Amino acid sequence: MIKLNNINKTYFGAQPLHVLKGINLDVAEGELVSIMGASGSGKSTLLNILGILDNYDDGDYYLAGKLVKNLSENQAAEYRNKLIGFIFQSFNLIPFKTALENVALPLFYQGVNRKKRNMMAMEYLERFGLKDWAEHYPNELSGGQKQRVSIARALVTSPKIILADEPTGALDSKTSAEVMQILREVNATGITMVIVTHERGIANLTRKIVHLKDGVIESIEENDPDKMDFTKEIK
Amino acid sequence: MFNKDFWSEIFMALRRNKLRTILTGFAISWGIFMLIILLSAGNGLKNGVTSNFADRIQNTYTIWSSSTELPYKGHGANRFIMLNNKDIQLLESLYQVEEVSPVLSQGGTLIFGEKSKMVSMEGVKPIYKNIEGIKMLEGRFVNENDMKNKMKVVVVDKNTNDELMRINGETTMLGKTVYINGLSFTVVGVCKGFPWGDRGQCYVPYSTLMAIYNVKEYYQLAFTTKGLDTKEENEAFQKELKKRLAAVHEFSPEDKRGVWIDSQMVNSLETMKIFNTINIFIWVIGIAMLISGVVGVSNIMRITVKERTNEIGIRKALGAKPRSILLSIVMESLVITTIFGYIGMFLGMGVMEIVNMVMSAGEVATGGGEMSVFVNPTVDIKIVVLATLVLIISGVAAGFAPAWNSVKVKPIEAMNYR
Repeated sequence: MIKLNNINKTYFGAQPLHVLKGINLDVAEGELVSIMGASGSGKSTLLNILGILDNYDDGDYYLAGKLVKNLSENQAAEYRNKLIGFIFQSFNLIPFKTALENVALPLFYQGVNRKKRNMMAMEYLERFGLKDWAEHYPNELSGGQKQRVSIARALVTSPKIILADEPTGALDSKTSAEVMQILREVNATGITMVIVTHERGIANLTRKIVHLKDGVIESIEENDPDKMDFTKEIK
Repeated sequence: MFNKDFWSEIFMALRRNKLRTILTGFAISWGIFMLIILLSAGNGLKNGVTSNFADRIQNTYTIWSSSTELPYKGHGANRFIMLNNKDIQLLESLYQVEEVSPVLSQGGTLIFGEKSKMVSMEGVKPIYKNIEGIKMLEGRFVNENDMKNKMKVVVVDKNTNDELMRINGETTMLGKTVYINGLSFTVVGVCKGFPWGDRGQCYVPYSTLMAIYNVKEYYQLAFTTKGLDTKEENEAFQKELKKRLAAVHEFSPEDKRGVWIDSQMVNSLETMKIFNTINIFIWVIGIAMLISGVVGVSNIMRITVKERTNEIGIRKALGAKPRSILLSIVMESLVITTIFGYIGMFLGMGVMEIVNMVMSAGEVATGGGEMSVFVNPTVDIKIVVLATLVLIISGVAAGFAPAWNSVKVKPIEAMNYR
């Protein structure tokens, strides 16, 4: 699903910063992968490149068999819309839109008509137990609810891959566990998932843990989350 | 692209961001509103003052007798020069002069029924009506027949008419007989009143007045001219006329006094010059207002779009194409500026129409005897529409640049923008 060949990325500022130094990574379809690393290790940059939210300087990135390089704005928008679902630490919901409208927004950009997209959005909200909150604005929702709305939004287009950047970073441990449970269930339906985290507890719930340090992959650890004891706190 | 869904998205965004919408809208409405008020007030001032001159024929002159300042040819200084029939002949011999009317002034008491009023009676020729811009409200002015037959007819002003008629319950003196200094006159016309003084003003044929009082000399001569269109021509004519009159009356042509020659045209040229200046001034202020409106609107648009950078980033991450984002931002600003621009335009023109109506009503009530300072304070609709369009376009253009920037920037940068 994802193939990275020698990806390099430098931020050119007053002091050029070489954040990614030749990343090679393969993620197969249906995998649940976490990228771990300290802050500044380049893990968020890597995820942004995977999500075509940022560009890279050097190397090749194949997403679902297509080379993602020097894309036009419109192509990039199309890929993001059809192939990728995003989940952010800060939710990134549009504040003046209701939960339902937020979930329906990616479908608006696909040209789906209002009735159909509201129906689809409602289905996903229902799936995550948010039916009664559909007409609420983000500031009327709790952190866990907001993250569930954004998961619904990420899934509504039936993407090939979900990219989550510290999805539990702004949540308490109980809500984190719930959100991780949802993400694992989503993954179980066959959607590839890449989660960036700095928390071991979160990474332990994934099948593959990529350790990133100073812009290089230090190690890739195979993990069996089913062996984890869910009665224990994940943090 | 511009389907129902697109528009409902735009109106929803405007509705959900009420404060932003209203603030932006207010800036635009206010700008247009003030611009209209200012331009209208300027126009009103200009119309008001020009209307005071427009009643008169512009190429008229008045000669006033006066005392000399310099001794000349054995005559001492401070000799009073009176005008007489020879001056009329002199004037009529000049090709620039069209028609001359002497103005014989005679104070008196006008008695009508039980009431009386002090009046200033002027013996004039029919042309004087045009020279002075006298407006007839009823009846007619002195005519040639009156002149020829030395008729005892009189034209009274509205103030006199109203004051003396009040007791009788009738409204007009037209056709009545009045007594001026003991002599009976028939009222043939009522003219618009004058704002100055308590005295009534009435006009009789100059030949009649001359016969009654045996007047040979007078203080004032008025005449119309032709072919004197520029200030230079008028000045040359005035100089020439002064020289001729000086020769007849034996005073120094260098004398600043002796006779006053007053040109309506030169006066009105001067006034026009002042009004052109005022006009330019009003335009400068108007344009300055418009610029400050443009700056205000542009700033709000810029801030609005900056504020939405995060939203733009999120939309891009969800797969919005640049064109779609740009279009919705531009359309939103266009909708706001258009709606509120026209609200401001409507209010501004409405207020000025009301002012205009109130003032016209006031003018009718006072009988039109007032000097008008403010007339028809309205502004050309074309200018208003143009100004509104300038604001709309500049608002949209100002929003376009930052929108373009946030669309161009990488989505992650837009999302992380603070």
